[in-house]
Amino acid sequence: MNIQTVLIFIGLSFAYGQDRKITAKLNPGYNTYSTDITLVYVKCEGVSDTIHQIWDFTRHMPTVIFAVASVNSTLNVTWTDNAPKDLIMSEEPTYSFATAIDKIYEYDDLDDNGHIDPKFPQKPYPLDKIVWHLNESLLTDKEAMVHVYGMLNGRHGRREIINIKLDLIPFKDYAVDLPHLIHTANSTLFDISLVNLTTSKEYNASRYAIHLLLVSTDPETDTMHYTMRKSLDDEHTPGVFEIIEIKSPSLFEKGEGGYLQFRPVAYLQSTRGVASSTIARVSAFSRTSLPRYSTLKLFYSNLNTDLLVQDMFVSFGEAGDGYYKQHNYTAWSFTIGYGTPPIESFSFFVIMIISIGLGVPVVLALSGITYVLLRRYRHNNNRTRFTNED
Amino acid sequence: MESLEASGSMRLNQEVATSWCHPANRVHRFIALILMCFLCFGSYFCYDTPGALADNFKDDSHLNTSQFALLYSIYSWPNVILCFIGGYLIDRCFGVRLGTIIYMTIVFIGAVVFAFGVYINAYWVMILGRFIFGIGGESLQVAVNNYVVLWFNGKELNMVFGLQLSFSRFGSTVNFWVMEPIYRWVANYYGGYEKLGVALFIASMTCLGSLICGLILGWMDHRAERILGRQEEQSKDEPFHILDVLHFKPVFWLVSVICVAYYLAIFPFIALGKLFFERKFDYVPQDANTVNSMVYLLSAALSPFFGILIDKTGRNVTWVILSIITTIGSHFLMAFTFVNPYVGVISLGISYSLLASGLWPLVAMIVPESQLGTAFGICQAVQNLGLATVIIFAGMIVDKYGYLMLEMFFLGCLFVSLIAGVLIYIVDSANNGILNLSPSKREALKKTSVRTDETANLLEHAESSDQEEPDAGGAGGAGGEGGAVSGVTSSEPSPRDPAQAHSDRIRSRYIAQLLPATNIPDRP
Repeated sequence: MNIQTVLIFIGLSFAYGQDRKITAKLNPGYNTYSTDITLVYVKCEGVSDTIHQIWDFTRHMPTVIFAVASVNSTLNVTWTDNAPKDLIMSEEPTYSFATAIDKIYEYDDLDDNGHIDPKFPQKPYPLDKIVWHLNESLLTDKEAMVHVYGMLNGRHGRREIINIKLDLIPFKDYAVDLPHLIHTANSTLFDISLVNLTTSKEYNASRYAIHLLLVSTDPETDTMHYTMRKSLDDEHTPGVFEIIEIKSPSLFEKGEGGYLQFRPVAYLQSTRGVASSTIARVSAFSRTSLPRYSTLKLFYSNLNTDLLVQDMFVSFGEAGDGYYKQHNYTAWSFTIGYGTPPIESFSFFVIMIISIGLGVPVVLALSGITYVLLRRYRHNNNRTRFTNED
Repeated sequence: MESLEASGSMRLNQEVATSWCHPANRVHRFIALILMCFLCFGSYFCYDTPGALADNFKDDSHLNTSQFALLYSIYSWPNVILCFIGGYLIDRCFGVRLGTIIYMTIVFIGAVVFAFGVYINAYWVMILGRFIFGIGGESLQVAVNNYVVLWFNGKELNMVFGLQLSFSRFGSTVNFWVMEPIYRWVANYYGGYEKLGVALFIASMTCLGSLICGLILGWMDHRAERILGRQEEQSKDEPFHILDVLHFKPVFWLVSVICVAYYLAIFPFIALGKLFFERKFDYVPQDANTVNSMVYLLSAALSPFFGILIDKTGRNVTWVILSIITTIGSHFLMAFTFVNPYVGVISLGISYSLLASGLWPLVAMIVPESQLGTAFGICQAVQNLGLATVIIFAGMIVDKYGYLMLEMFFLGCLFVSLIAGVLIYIVDSANNGILNLSPSKREALKKTSVRTDETANLLEHAESSDQEEPDAGGAGGAGGEGGAVSGVTSSEPSPRDPAQAHSDRIRSRYIAQLLPATNIPDRP
């Protein structure tokens, strides 16, 4: 009977764990194979809705689009030569959220505090010419993952590489790599690393920042919300207690919508660890518009809805760390998702230690007290017999 | 004064109340107490110099964190074996006086070698210096514990232990206060790693001061031994073999479990605490250091008072359990809440001081005095084994699983010590709660159960208790029997002159024997 209960429990939790059925396709509708063209379409079918995800690298800007529609909705991609011509949904999505990296900024951090400040010299490096090469991909019903890399326009004759890895799993789990962010069926892990970039000669305190676009089908006058909360649990991201969430207005107001979630931590070496970690800092939002010739433009121009477009910087580093050139490497992760951001819970191990740790002494103390009382009781009986003579 | 001493101990004995020169006089013993306090000051001061100058070690000597951590860990490694042997050597070879002076000299040499290593910026010399320093450090503590027991026993013992511990901690705290100013002052005259080396040379002078205290105390003790006739006592010591540790009572091993497990939740916490406070509670480094040093500071301030408290109330086991529980509470606060860390650290400091005041005297109550050096040595050896490995292990936990897991690890250690504490209470209650008596009951029991030297054969006690212990702990029937027996022994008249038993050393012996005495069953 016990085994049955356990089996039912496992079955239930498994069924619960597998939140969505995922189907991933690389370059759907495109017939020629090329490692230079990467567009992944992931259909995540849930019980009450379907999330359509587009991960696009064909139009230079790494872009992730989430579109939520009814269960039976579909999305079709048509192609020109080597880029999508149109992204057609079978119905108007009920909600959509997207992010894209349009530029990398180099800035001279004269205050040496890691923040990107408009008062200091800075140079934008648009990614509009970068070609993304597919390095690795895994597209099954258990996981959808692509890893692409691009050369930053071959500047300076150095191999200046930007690596990007996108990963989706159909259940809730922690990412394999630090900072071990929480994946869910509703969120995709976005991991970017800036490797071996050349720093400008005229900047002594050169750092790099990522410029992110955030798009959501919310009123144009509204704004994204930055929230930082503290967690007691740094088990998965050692030494980092903060969790940052960028919430779309609909999530902030109605409790369901698009979000970015991440820990304010970046890594300065490819072997990630506490020793090689640094701080990731988020700037304020500013309003902007969709870039021309972008996949974002392509997708959202088809929709008849309000559109909120904002941008923000994410910069890296802390005082006295020797700037970007010290390690020539910066890696940062975030998850982009729909619904409500997942919250971390204490691991089984933590709960086990506490219950054993508190349980055993209490049981011991109770049995000890019982034993001693019993013994005293007998002892007194014996003693009465002996001392009666006095 | 010399002629006065030469005129014989009988006459001096009559002058107890009037002459401060007499070793039994309060003032005289107070001076000895101060010297004992300063004896450990130097070694504690120098132990934490790397911590106080951590930034400078990284900037001037270019040590990375793991190299820096090794400076602390290397201190503990030799002590795993040596403070056990150190205690044994005090018991068997050197005696407490020579032993103290030898260990203090080693500590001084270690501090100087370490400073020299920093001065010439040779990492292996620094490590060598810390290693030598470690060889002397903990053994010295064993020696000083022996001094304390020798000079202050009975009711004062707890208080003096507390005061001595307090002064040791004060050494650490003072180190944190003064090393930075010293370093800045030295920086006016030297540059680079040389200024760090010179600052450490100055720090090592505290060890020279402690060495001088050791020499004076040695002379005082020599004189006291002659006047009080302690020499005879020592020559009467029972034959002792190192294998006798096998016959230590199970309660002793439970106490050493607490010695290891509890301290694992304190020292590595302080070692890694600074970053914890910075990261979890957003403290700036300076404030983080202040929070972190609260444990030492409180322990320095409170230990004597807790010593007095425990002297007055007795019930050491209860206090120990209580302080373990409050320590668990403090770690819970810091692990599972964002409550101001001062709350957690202050209650940690209070609990830690209370535990130290209650726990160490337990060893003196359990173990016969002639084995006391070895017993303290074992306690500290296992404690060092724990610390040496765990400081490294704790660092790995932080790197891999974060501070919450580190706190979980500390809580795990505390749970182990809580279990040990509860077990001590149970085992002790089964033996009529000798360890947990109030002072008045302790006094009463001592008077009624005084035994002759013939029956005080410690080996016999140990062996018989070895047989008795499992019975008493396991079966209820044997316990009742034991209780009846102790009832009989307590009604026996004392065969010995109470006045003769009044010397501190003898008193301590009786305390040490209280526990075995009740355990000797007249088995049918």
